[in-house]
Amino acid sequence: MEKRTLPGSGKPGWLNASLLYKVFGGVLFAYLFLGFMVAPCLNTLLSVFREKNPTTGAIEPFRVISYFFSGNMPSFILSSVILAVALVITVNVVGISIVLLTEYFDIKGAKILRLGYMTTLIYSGMALVTGYLFLYGRDGILTQWLRGLFPQFNEKWFGGFYAVLFTMTFACTSNHALFLRNAIRNIDYNTVEAARNLGAHPFRVLMKVVMPTLLPTLFSLTVMTFITGLCAMSAPKLIGYNSINPKIVELAGTTKGEIDFPQAQAALMSIILALFTIILLTILNHYERKGHYLSVSKTKAKLVKQKIQNPVGNVLAHVYAYLLFVIYMLPVVIIILFSFQNYGAVNAKKPSVEAVTTINYYGSEDVEVPREGRKPKIKENAVTGVFTNPKTGDAIRLSFILAASAAALACVIVVAAVNYIFKQKNKKRAVIVEACLLFPWLLPTILICYSYRIFFNNNIWYVFGQNLYTGENVRLLLIIAYTVVKLPFALRMIKASFYAIDEELEDAARNLGASGFRTLLRIKLPIILPSVLAVFALNFNSLFTEYDMGATFFNPNANTYAKVIESMSTPELQNDYNAAGRQCASTVFIMIVSGLILYLVYGVGARDLGERLERRAKRRQRLMRLTGKAKKPSAKAAA
Amino acid sequence: MPFMIRLDDIIVKFGEFEALHKISVEVNEGEFFTFLGPSGCGKTTTLRTITGFIDPVAGTVNMQGRDITHVPIEKRNIGIVFQSYALFPTMTVYDNIAFGLKIKKMKKPEIAQKVQAIAKKVDLTDEQLKKAVSQLSGGQQQRVAIARALVTEPAIICMDEPLSNLDAKLRVQLRNELKKMQREFGITTIYVTHDQEEALTLSDRIAVFNKGYIEQIGTPNEVYNHSRTEFVANFIGDINRLGEEIVEKMGLPAEKHHFIRLERVRVNRPGDEGALQLPGVIESREYYGLYIKYYIQAAGQAVKVIEKNDGINIYEVGDTVTVGIHPMDIMSYEAQE
Repeated sequence: MEKRTLPGSGKPGWLNASLLYKVFGGVLFAYLFLGFMVAPCLNTLLSVFREKNPTTGAIEPFRVISYFFSGNMPSFILSSVILAVALVITVNVVGISIVLLTEYFDIKGAKILRLGYMTTLIYSGMALVTGYLFLYGRDGILTQWLRGLFPQFNEKWFGGFYAVLFTMTFACTSNHALFLRNAIRNIDYNTVEAARNLGAHPFRVLMKVVMPTLLPTLFSLTVMTFITGLCAMSAPKLIGYNSINPKIVELAGTTKGEIDFPQAQAALMSIILALFTIILLTILNHYERKGHYLSVSKTKAKLVKQKIQNPVGNVLAHVYAYLLFVIYMLPVVIIILFSFQNYGAVNAKKPSVEAVTTINYYGSEDVEVPREGRKPKIKENAVTGVFTNPKTGDAIRLSFILAASAAALACVIVVAAVNYIFKQKNKKRAVIVEACLLFPWLLPTILICYSYRIFFNNNIWYVFGQNLYTGENVRLLLIIAYTVVKLPFALRMIKASFYAIDEELEDAARNLGASGFRTLLRIKLPIILPSVLAVFALNFNSLFTEYDMGATFFNPNANTYAKVIESMSTPELQNDYNAAGRQCASTVFIMIVSGLILYLVYGVGARDLGERLERRAKRRQRLMRLTGKAKKPSAKAAA
Repeated sequence: MPFMIRLDDIIVKFGEFEALHKISVEVNEGEFFTFLGPSGCGKTTTLRTITGFIDPVAGTVNMQGRDITHVPIEKRNIGIVFQSYALFPTMTVYDNIAFGLKIKKMKKPEIAQKVQAIAKKVDLTDEQLKKAVSQLSGGQQQRVAIARALVTEPAIICMDEPLSNLDAKLRVQLRNELKKMQREFGITTIYVTHDQEEALTLSDRIAVFNKGYIEQIGTPNEVYNHSRTEFVANFIGDINRLGEEIVEKMGLPAEKHHFIRLERVRVNRPGDEGALQLPGVIESREYYGLYIKYYIQAAGQAVKVIEKNDGINIYEVGDTVTVGIHPMDIMSYEAQE
């Protein structure tokens, strides 16, 4: 039982029983932080300054830097910055549009529109990019269709900067859909009414009253979008655009000889990326500390949707809303449709009722391969579904285990740490623990992964002399990397939920005799559980189809789901039959898994005990009505 | 009467700030004892020292002859009802009440029997026991909090402003229930409030706190009618401070501060023997329903008076009246400034 000892109470604290726990906890924390965050990244940083002059053999600290800036490397950085700046503009335009159209303006069918706009929540990254390519790429349905109409149409039209910008614009509005929506729903409608009452025109109300309250959220979203743009990986790599991250991965996998000190250049590039991130996050942090425009009203009125008075404006708004809806929904609909089409239909990109099949999900089929001048060859089981294709199945299993382990590990570490932080409130050690957990936030994922790949590809003494990069060890390394990059997000979310715990609850539990551990387990954890589950689910969702880290590790023992999906989009290289069909089914599978998890977390998990009991009672009543009152169902059956 | 709990020279510090300066107080067995004072006066800190949430820098907490100053919270056998009730939101009402018993590793049937018994005493139905705490009203939640605190059979129950979350009407209703329950259980109760009306109606004795000191300990009548300090006189109930002119006319020592309660100032009672009679004019009035408060301009100051709203002594603004002040009703204190 740890007692809250006040300063000045003068009791010697160094001899009590919890000393062992404290020392053990402290040592473990230091081991994890220094060993898995500081050491690998420091190694990367130092590697930049360790290159030798080939003739003299002396170390030239600035050799890499001067070489780097004299070559074409800065152009990659410039491209990334251009992409990031453009993304900030387009994502904000589309993001603000979708939120205003569904939450602020009175647009017919807003509920359906919202569902469409939120589809990026259930598929993102590699799944989304391959989906867009399935539609717009060289063999894409839309491209083929346009070629049918205009034979001169350039089938490589969807490539380079604008294609990446287009894809990422729609891929990156998920945060707007979540956070900006919350912000706008929190607006006190009385302020809108007051402005109207004082004579402000609706547009003026929007610009002068509504938008300023959204600014803090928009600012955070802008910074996050900028970082996303800088760190873009799957879209530039697949669609084709020279940006930082794909180049780092390429350099990391390059042997010397082809290019001068590729690893050191990759390290330097990831450090430059880190500097960008640090500057941006410092600005964001500084801004957030200045405080928000919090609503001052005690009684908030619910926002009433604004009808657009101008008939032309109203029509245009509706057209715009449904155009966006089509852009969001088209890939989803096409992917779902083709996931139920057979090999022939998918290859010809011509869906038909006769071609409906579930083979892309389950089962296998032989394929007749035509050979010039010879009898066609039958390839047995060449067409396989997501769950029957051994490579895909293995990758799903691997990614599932890795993502679930890392998401769970991050939650456990953060819950324990936040519990400690709150107990030691206002003390230096709490600040240190928090800063350590937020540390990975400053570093781009690619830097952490690159550092892991290089650093742990040696026998490291503090991991029992093992090389974590070789063999199946790499899976453990991937779990650690996944966990590390998810810690800051988990910390921010779970810490916020701890504030919701009334301090008196803890006192009450202690007064009734509960130990610190029991209080955490029985009182605090149940209260924050919805948030912990949400963090777990969101982290799991993003890790399950995670591409950047899997690609950086580039190890056959870490062939993750996203990498397998990537390989499906270039089937000609893999000689993989039915890759396109399986890719569609894969994306549908990801949508179902993510959708289900989001529903469980936000739909079911967010209900409090009162709501759950009420629902149970209602279900019981319904069941009793159905079965007749004589048969009284047990509580368990009803539940 | 044997004492249940006694604090001797308790000092509590928060960093450099000394929150309690040598607090000493004794609570008797079965007594309803109230810590009264404005916010930040140290009443809750004293309560938390008793329950063990705070370690005093100096002084002792003694319970029935046993020093419990450094006894862990859960070994003190002191129950507590919090201002927010601190009911566990993820548990049902039943589980909330049973929590302390489960920690004591009691057998299930015994827990069930004890929970049922206490629920009956605080008027909670079986149906309510199955509910989530969020499904109960404020008053019902308070009963759960009390049941949870009482079920482990503590020697003392501490209540930290348990009525402050409720609306005015419910406060009065629950105040009466609280007193009734305390009488039935016969349990020693320490009650913290800033509401003087609550303190006066509920308590056997009251300790009035100010800036980390206890200004006075006494029965409601003692602290109200014989306030020991100027602070107590001012904090409890409304009061008139007598101006120079009245002080002089009554021949009171000028170096002291003199006060009189509103209900002790008599209007238009010429026959009142020994009282100073002053001519006055009704300046304004506040209507309270049960009574009316008048501001009367007399002897160069506004004298506040209340009159029962009985339809007899009703005055209009501008009416001329006589104000009677009896020397017996005057409370005098050494000037502090």
